[in-house]
Amino acid sequence: MRKVYLDAESLDLTLVPTRPEYEFVFIQTEGRCTANIKLKPFPNTKFKIKIYIYAEGTSEVDCVCSLDVDKESGGIETDIQIRSWPFDKSKIKARPEMFIKNSNIIATHGNALGTLKSEDKYYLASRGISDYKELIKQSLLNA
Amino acid sequence: MLKIKNLSASIGNKQILNNVNIELPFGECLLITGQNGAGKSTLLHAIMGRPDITITGEIILVSEELHKLECYKRSQTGVFMVHQSPPTIDGVNTMTLFKELQKVQNVAGSTSELIKTTKALFDWIGLPEGWEKRQFNNGASGGERKKNELTQAIYLKNKTRVLLLDEPDSGLEQSSRQKIIDLIQETKNRNGCVLLVTHDKELQELYGANKLDLNNA
Repeated sequence: MRKVYLDAESLDLTLVPTRPEYEFVFIQTEGRCTANIKLKPFPNTKFKIKIYIYAEGTSEVDCVCSLDVDKESGGIETDIQIRSWPFDKSKIKARPEMFIKNSNIIATHGNALGTLKSEDKYYLASRGISDYKELIKQSLLNA
Repeated sequence: MLKIKNLSASIGNKQILNNVNIELPFGECLLITGQNGAGKSTLLHAIMGRPDITITGEIILVSEELHKLECYKRSQTGVFMVHQSPPTIDGVNTMTLFKELQKVQNVAGSTSELIKTTKALFDWIGLPEGWEKRQFNNGASGGERKKNELTQAIYLKNKTRVLLLDEPDSGLEQSSRQKIIDLIQETKNRNGCVLLVTHDKELQELYGANKLDLNNA
Protein backbone atom coordinates (compact mmCIF):
# COMPACT_ATOMS: atom_id res chain seq x y z
CA MET A 1 0.00 0.00 0.00
CA ARG A 2 1.29 3.43 -0.93
CA LYS A 3 0.01 6.72 0.38
CA VAL A 4 1.21 10.17 -0.68
CA TYR A 5 0.69 13.26 1.47
CA LEU A 6 1.18 16.57 -0.33
CA ASP A 7 1.65 19.62 1.88
CA ALA A 8 -0.17 17.93 4.75
CA GLU A 9 -0.52 19.73 8.07
CA SER A 10 -0.90 16.79 10.39
CA LEU A 11 -1.33 13.06 10.32
CA ASP A 12 -2.19 10.92 13.30
CA LEU A 13 -2.51 7.35 12.14
CA THR A 14 -2.77 4.06 14.01
CA LEU A 15 -2.06 1.16 11.69
CA VAL A 16 -2.67 -2.54 12.25
CA PRO A 17 -0.53 -3.98 9.47
CA THR A 18 -2.12 -6.72 7.39
CA ARG A 19 -0.11 -6.28 4.18
CA PRO A 20 3.56 -7.11 3.59
CA GLU A 21 4.61 -3.56 2.75
CA TYR A 22 3.48 0.01 3.36
CA GLU A 23 4.93 3.17 1.86
CA PHE A 24 4.24 6.66 3.18
CA VAL A 25 5.44 9.60 1.10
CA PHE A 26 5.44 13.16 2.41
CA ILE A 27 6.02 15.99 -0.06
CA GLN A 28 6.23 19.29 1.77
CA THR A 29 6.69 22.49 -0.22
CA GLU A 30 5.31 24.92 2.37
CA GLY A 31 4.17 25.06 5.98
CA ARG A 32 4.72 22.48 8.66
CA CYS A 33 3.64 18.85 8.85
CA THR A 34 3.48 16.75 11.99
CA ALA A 35 3.06 13.04 11.41
CA ASN A 36 2.60 10.30 13.97
CA ILE A 37 2.36 6.79 12.60
CA LYS A 38 1.68 4.21 15.29
CA LEU A 39 2.08 0.55 14.42
CA LYS A 40 0.12 -1.98 16.47
CA PRO A 41 0.65 -5.35 14.77
CA PHE A 42 -1.11 -8.61 15.54
CA PRO A 43 1.10 -11.54 16.61
CA ASN A 44 2.98 -13.42 13.88
CA THR A 45 2.72 -10.70 11.23
CA LYS A 46 5.51 -9.75 8.85
CA PHE A 47 5.60 -6.30 7.32
CA LYS A 48 7.89 -3.54 6.09
CA ILE A 49 7.37 0.18 6.48
CA LYS A 50 9.06 2.68 4.16
CA ILE A 51 8.72 6.39 4.78
CA TYR A 52 10.00 8.93 2.25
CA ILE A 53 10.07 12.61 3.16
CA TYR A 54 10.83 15.44 0.73
CA ALA A 55 10.89 19.04 1.93
CA GLU A 56 11.81 22.26 0.14
CA GLY A 57 11.80 26.00 0.75
CA THR A 58 11.29 26.76 4.41
CA SER A 59 8.87 23.89 5.04
CA GLU A 60 9.19 21.56 8.02
CA VAL A 61 8.30 17.94 8.64
CA ASP A 62 8.31 16.23 12.01
CA CYS A 63 7.63 12.52 11.64
CA VAL A 64 7.60 9.72 14.22
CA CYS A 65 6.93 6.11 13.34
CA SER A 66 6.49 4.03 16.48
CA LEU A 67 6.17 0.28 16.81
CA ASP A 68 4.28 -0.93 19.86
CA VAL A 69 4.48 -4.63 20.66
CA ASP A 70 2.96 -5.90 23.89
CA LYS A 71 3.90 -9.02 25.89
CA GLU A 72 1.42 -11.30 24.09
CA SER A 73 2.37 -10.35 20.51
CA GLY A 74 5.23 -12.68 19.59
CA GLY A 75 6.41 -13.79 16.17
CA ILE A 76 6.44 -10.36 14.57
CA GLU A 77 9.04 -9.55 11.91
CA THR A 78 9.34 -5.99 10.74
CA ASP A 79 11.65 -3.40 9.23
CA ILE A 80 11.10 0.35 9.34
CA GLN A 81 13.09 2.53 6.95
CA ILE A 82 12.91 6.31 6.75
CA ARG A 83 14.63 8.31 3.99
CA SER A 84 14.51 12.10 4.01
CA TRP A 85 15.59 14.77 1.52
CA PRO A 86 15.70 18.26 3.06
CA PHE A 87 16.30 20.78 0.27
CA ASP A 88 16.88 24.54 0.55
CA LYS A 89 16.25 25.76 4.11
CA SER A 90 13.69 23.13 4.98
CA LYS A 91 13.89 21.05 8.14
CA ILE A 92 13.07 17.39 8.60
CA LYS A 93 12.99 15.63 11.95
CA ALA A 94 12.22 11.95 11.51
CA ARG A 95 12.68 9.00 13.80
CA PRO A 96 11.59 5.41 14.21
CA GLU A 97 10.70 4.36 17.77
CA MET A 98 10.27 0.83 19.07
CA PHE A 99 8.51 -0.20 22.26
CA ILE A 100 8.85 -3.96 22.44
CA LYS A 101 7.81 -6.09 25.41
CA ASN A 102 8.20 -9.52 23.83
CA SER A 103 11.52 -11.27 23.16
CA ASN A 104 10.23 -13.27 20.17
CA ILE A 105 10.44 -10.33 17.76
CA ILE A 106 12.69 -9.40 14.85
CA ALA A 107 12.56 -5.65 14.37
CA THR A 108 15.08 -3.55 12.45
CA HIS A 109 15.10 0.09 11.47
CA GLY A 110 17.06 2.63 9.47
CA ASN A 111 16.97 6.38 9.14
CA ALA A 112 18.88 8.27 6.46
CA LEU A 113 18.79 11.99 5.76
CA GLY A 114 20.54 14.01 3.09
CA THR A 115 20.25 15.34 -0.43
CA LEU A 116 22.25 14.16 -3.42
CA LYS A 117 25.94 13.26 -3.33
CA SER A 118 28.24 15.23 -5.61
CA GLU A 119 28.82 12.15 -7.80
CA ASP A 120 25.04 11.76 -8.22
CA LYS A 121 24.71 15.42 -9.23
CA TYR A 122 27.53 15.02 -11.75
CA TYR A 123 25.93 11.91 -13.18
CA LEU A 124 22.57 13.66 -13.63
CA ALA A 125 24.30 16.73 -15.09
CA SER A 126 26.00 14.42 -17.60
CA ARG A 127 22.47 13.56 -18.73
CA GLY A 128 21.55 17.24 -19.06
CA ILE A 129 19.56 17.30 -15.82
CA SER A 130 20.16 20.21 -13.46
CA ASP A 131 16.88 20.36 -11.53
CA TYR A 132 17.63 17.63 -9.01
CA LYS A 133 14.89 18.65 -6.59
CA GLU A 134 12.17 18.28 -9.20
CA LEU A 135 13.55 14.90 -10.23
CA ILE A 136 13.37 13.57 -6.65
CA LYS A 137 9.92 15.11 -6.13
CA GLN A 138 8.53 13.65 -9.34
CA SER A 139 10.13 10.28 -8.58
CA LEU A 140 8.41 10.16 -5.20
CA LEU A 141 5.09 11.30 -6.65
CA ASN A 142 5.14 8.93 -9.63
CA ALA A 143 6.91 5.82 -8.33
CA MET B 1 34.74 18.08 -35.67
CA LEU B 2 35.72 17.82 -32.01
CA LYS B 3 38.90 19.75 -31.32
CA ILE B 4 40.85 19.51 -28.11
CA LYS B 5 43.66 22.02 -27.87
CA ASN B 6 46.45 21.96 -25.29
CA LEU B 7 44.25 20.28 -22.70
CA SER B 8 45.73 19.84 -19.26
CA ALA B 9 43.67 18.46 -16.41
CA SER B 10 44.20 18.09 -12.70
CA ILE B 11 42.23 16.86 -9.73
CA GLY B 12 43.22 18.74 -6.60
CA ASN B 13 46.98 19.17 -6.74
CA LYS B 14 47.53 16.17 -8.98
CA GLN B 15 48.03 16.86 -12.64
CA ILE B 16 46.71 13.98 -14.72
CA LEU B 17 46.73 15.22 -18.31
CA ASN B 18 49.37 17.44 -19.83
CA ASN B 19 48.89 19.24 -23.11
CA VAL B 20 46.64 16.77 -24.95
CA ASN B 21 45.66 17.66 -28.52
CA ILE B 22 42.97 15.85 -30.51
CA GLU B 23 41.22 16.58 -33.78
CA LEU B 24 38.42 14.08 -34.27
CA PRO B 25 36.26 14.51 -37.38
CA PHE B 26 32.61 13.48 -37.27
CA GLY B 27 32.07 9.94 -38.42
CA GLU B 28 35.19 8.64 -36.66
CA CYS B 29 36.04 6.68 -33.54
CA LEU B 30 39.18 7.32 -31.50
CA LEU B 31 40.53 4.58 -29.26
CA ILE B 32 42.15 5.96 -26.09
CA THR B 33 44.84 3.71 -24.66
CA GLY B 34 47.31 3.93 -21.82
CA GLN B 35 48.25 2.11 -18.67
CA ASN B 36 46.29 2.44 -15.43
CA GLY B 37 46.45 6.02 -14.18
CA ALA B 38 47.46 7.41 -17.59
CA GLY B 39 44.32 9.57 -17.59
CA LYS B 40 41.99 7.77 -20.02
CA SER B 41 38.87 8.23 -17.90
CA THR B 42 39.99 11.69 -16.81
CA LEU B 43 40.12 12.76 -20.45
CA LEU B 44 36.52 11.65 -20.99
CA HIS B 45 35.35 13.29 -17.74
CA ALA B 46 37.20 16.51 -18.67
CA ILE B 47 35.29 16.59 -21.97
CA MET B 48 32.03 15.85 -20.12
CA GLY B 49 32.75 18.63 -17.61
CA ARG B 50 33.14 16.91 -14.25
CA PRO B 51 33.22 19.78 -11.76
CA ASP B 52 36.15 18.56 -9.65
CA ILE B 53 38.49 18.38 -12.66
CA THR B 54 40.32 21.63 -13.32
CA ILE B 55 41.30 22.12 -16.92
CA THR B 56 43.27 24.51 -19.06
CA GLY B 57 43.08 24.49 -22.83
CA GLU B 58 40.11 24.31 -25.14
CA ILE B 59 37.41 21.76 -26.04
CA ILE B 60 35.55 22.85 -29.15
CA LEU B 61 32.64 21.09 -30.83
CA VAL B 62 32.20 22.62 -34.29
CA SER B 63 32.23 26.24 -33.11
CA GLU B 64 30.92 25.74 -29.58
CA GLU B 65 33.38 26.23 -26.73
CA LEU B 66 32.42 23.28 -24.56
CA HIS B 67 35.09 24.12 -21.97
CA LYS B 68 33.10 27.24 -21.09
CA LEU B 69 29.86 25.33 -20.50
CA GLU B 70 28.64 23.60 -17.36
CA CYS B 71 28.34 19.83 -17.54
CA TYR B 72 24.56 19.76 -18.06
CA LYS B 73 24.84 22.25 -20.92
CA ARG B 74 27.50 20.12 -22.59
CA SER B 75 25.12 17.18 -22.37
CA GLN B 76 22.33 19.23 -23.92
CA THR B 77 24.78 20.20 -26.69
CA GLY B 78 25.07 16.54 -27.67
CA VAL B 79 27.81 15.06 -25.49
CA PHE B 80 26.85 11.69 -24.02
CA MET B 81 28.97 9.61 -21.66
CA VAL B 82 28.64 5.94 -20.82
CA HIS B 83 30.12 5.96 -17.33
CA GLN B 84 32.52 3.30 -16.13
CA SER B 85 30.90 3.13 -12.66
CA PRO B 86 27.39 4.60 -12.79
CA PRO B 87 26.02 5.35 -9.31
CA THR B 88 22.93 4.20 -7.50
CA ILE B 89 20.80 7.31 -7.05
CA ASP B 90 18.65 6.98 -3.99
CA GLY B 91 15.14 8.37 -4.48
CA VAL B 92 15.33 8.70 -8.27
CA ASN B 93 12.90 6.44 -10.09
CA THR B 94 14.26 5.03 -13.36
CA MET B 95 11.24 5.89 -15.51
CA THR B 96 11.05 9.39 -14.02
CA LEU B 97 14.68 9.88 -15.03
CA PHE B 98 13.83 8.87 -18.60
CA LYS B 99 10.90 11.32 -18.59
CA GLU B 100 13.31 14.05 -17.50
CA LEU B 101 15.79 12.95 -20.19
CA GLN B 102 13.04 13.27 -22.78
CA LYS B 103 12.26 16.78 -21.54
CA VAL B 104 15.75 18.23 -21.20
CA GLN B 105 17.09 16.60 -24.38
CA ASN B 106 14.00 17.53 -26.42
CA VAL B 107 13.22 14.01 -27.58
CA ALA B 108 9.94 13.92 -29.50
CA GLY B 109 7.06 11.71 -28.42
CA SER B 110 4.32 11.37 -25.86
CA THR B 111 4.78 9.95 -22.37
CA SER B 112 3.03 6.73 -23.36
CA GLU B 113 5.40 6.37 -26.33
CA LEU B 114 8.36 6.96 -24.02
CA ILE B 115 7.18 4.27 -21.61
CA LYS B 116 6.62 1.82 -24.46
CA THR B 117 10.01 2.59 -26.02
CA THR B 118 12.02 2.34 -22.82
CA LYS B 119 10.32 -0.87 -21.69
CA ALA B 120 11.08 -2.40 -25.09
CA LEU B 121 14.71 -1.23 -24.82
CA PHE B 122 15.10 -2.65 -21.31
CA ASP B 123 13.71 -5.96 -22.52
CA TRP B 124 15.88 -5.99 -25.65
CA ILE B 125 19.08 -5.25 -23.75
CA GLY B 126 18.31 -7.88 -21.12
CA LEU B 127 17.36 -5.90 -18.03
CA PRO B 128 14.93 -7.59 -15.63
CA GLU B 129 11.18 -7.05 -15.79
CA GLY B 130 10.04 -4.08 -13.74
CA TRP B 131 13.41 -2.31 -14.15
CA GLU B 132 11.63 0.96 -14.98
CA LYS B 133 9.93 0.98 -11.57
CA ARG B 134 13.15 0.62 -9.60
CA GLN B 135 15.12 3.36 -7.96
CA PHE B 136 17.99 4.19 -10.27
CA ASN B 137 20.48 1.27 -10.29
CA ASN B 138 19.22 0.13 -6.89
CA GLY B 139 20.45 -3.41 -6.27
CA ALA B 140 21.90 -3.57 -9.79
CA SER B 141 24.93 -5.66 -10.72
CA GLY B 142 27.85 -4.12 -12.64
CA GLY B 143 26.53 -5.61 -15.87
CA GLU B 144 23.01 -4.28 -15.30
CA ARG B 145 24.40 -0.80 -14.66
CA LYS B 146 26.25 -0.96 -17.98
CA LYS B 147 23.10 -2.11 -19.75
CA ASN B 148 21.24 0.81 -18.18
CA GLU B 149 23.95 3.12 -19.55
CA LEU B 150 23.68 1.61 -23.02
CA THR B 151 19.88 1.92 -22.91
CA GLN B 152 20.18 5.66 -22.29
CA ALA B 153 22.83 5.97 -25.01
CA ILE B 154 20.55 4.21 -27.49
CA TYR B 155 17.53 6.28 -26.39
CA LEU B 156 19.49 9.50 -27.04
CA LYS B 157 21.41 8.29 -30.09
CA ASN B 158 19.74 10.75 -32.45
CA LYS B 159 20.83 13.65 -30.22
CA THR B 160 24.41 12.53 -29.63
CA ARG B 161 27.24 14.23 -31.49
CA VAL B 162 30.07 13.15 -29.18
CA LEU B 163 29.82 9.70 -27.60
CA LEU B 164 32.21 9.07 -24.71
CA LEU B 165 32.51 5.37 -23.88
CA ASP B 166 34.39 4.62 -20.67
CA GLU B 167 34.88 0.85 -20.61
CA PRO B 168 31.37 0.18 -21.91
CA ASP B 169 32.04 -3.56 -22.10
CA SER B 170 33.21 -4.16 -18.52
CA GLY B 171 30.85 -6.40 -16.59
CA LEU B 172 28.87 -7.27 -19.72
CA GLU B 173 28.49 -10.72 -21.21
CA GLN B 174 30.14 -11.35 -24.59
CA SER B 175 26.82 -11.25 -26.44
CA SER B 176 26.30 -7.61 -25.46
CA ARG B 177 29.51 -6.51 -27.19
CA GLN B 178 27.73 -6.44 -30.54
CA LYS B 179 25.30 -3.84 -29.14
CA ILE B 180 28.26 -1.59 -28.35
CA ILE B 181 29.70 -2.10 -31.83
CA ASP B 182 26.30 -1.30 -33.37
CA LEU B 183 25.99 1.85 -31.21
CA ILE B 184 29.44 3.05 -32.29
CA GLN B 185 28.63 2.35 -35.94
CA GLU B 186 25.26 4.13 -35.76
CA THR B 187 26.86 7.16 -34.07
CA LYS B 188 29.49 7.31 -36.82
CA ASN B 189 26.87 6.87 -39.54
CA ARG B 190 24.81 9.74 -38.13
CA ASN B 191 27.89 11.93 -38.28
CA GLY B 192 28.76 11.80 -34.61
CA CYS B 193 32.17 10.97 -33.21
CA VAL B 194 33.20 8.47 -30.56
CA LEU B 195 35.98 8.36 -27.95
CA LEU B 196 36.43 4.82 -26.66
CA VAL B 197 38.27 3.57 -23.61
CA THR B 198 38.31 -0.22 -23.38
CA HIS B 199 40.44 -3.13 -22.22
CA ASP B 200 38.56 -5.49 -24.53
CA LYS B 201 41.07 -6.91 -27.01
CA GLU B 202 38.54 -7.39 -29.81
CA LEU B 203 37.21 -3.85 -29.52
CA GLN B 204 40.79 -2.57 -29.40
CA GLU B 205 41.58 -4.43 -32.60
CA LEU B 206 38.39 -3.26 -34.26
CA TYR B 207 38.97 0.43 -33.52
CA GLY B 208 42.78 0.46 -33.14
CA ALA B 209 43.45 2.16 -36.48
CA ASN B 210 42.75 5.56 -34.95
CA LYS B 211 44.44 5.59 -31.57
CA LEU B 212 45.70 8.01 -28.93
CA ASP B 213 48.18 6.52 -26.48
CA LEU B 214 48.12 8.60 -23.31
CA ASN B 215 51.37 7.02 -22.11
CA ASN B 216 53.09 9.16 -24.72
CA ALA B 217 50.74 12.14 -24.67
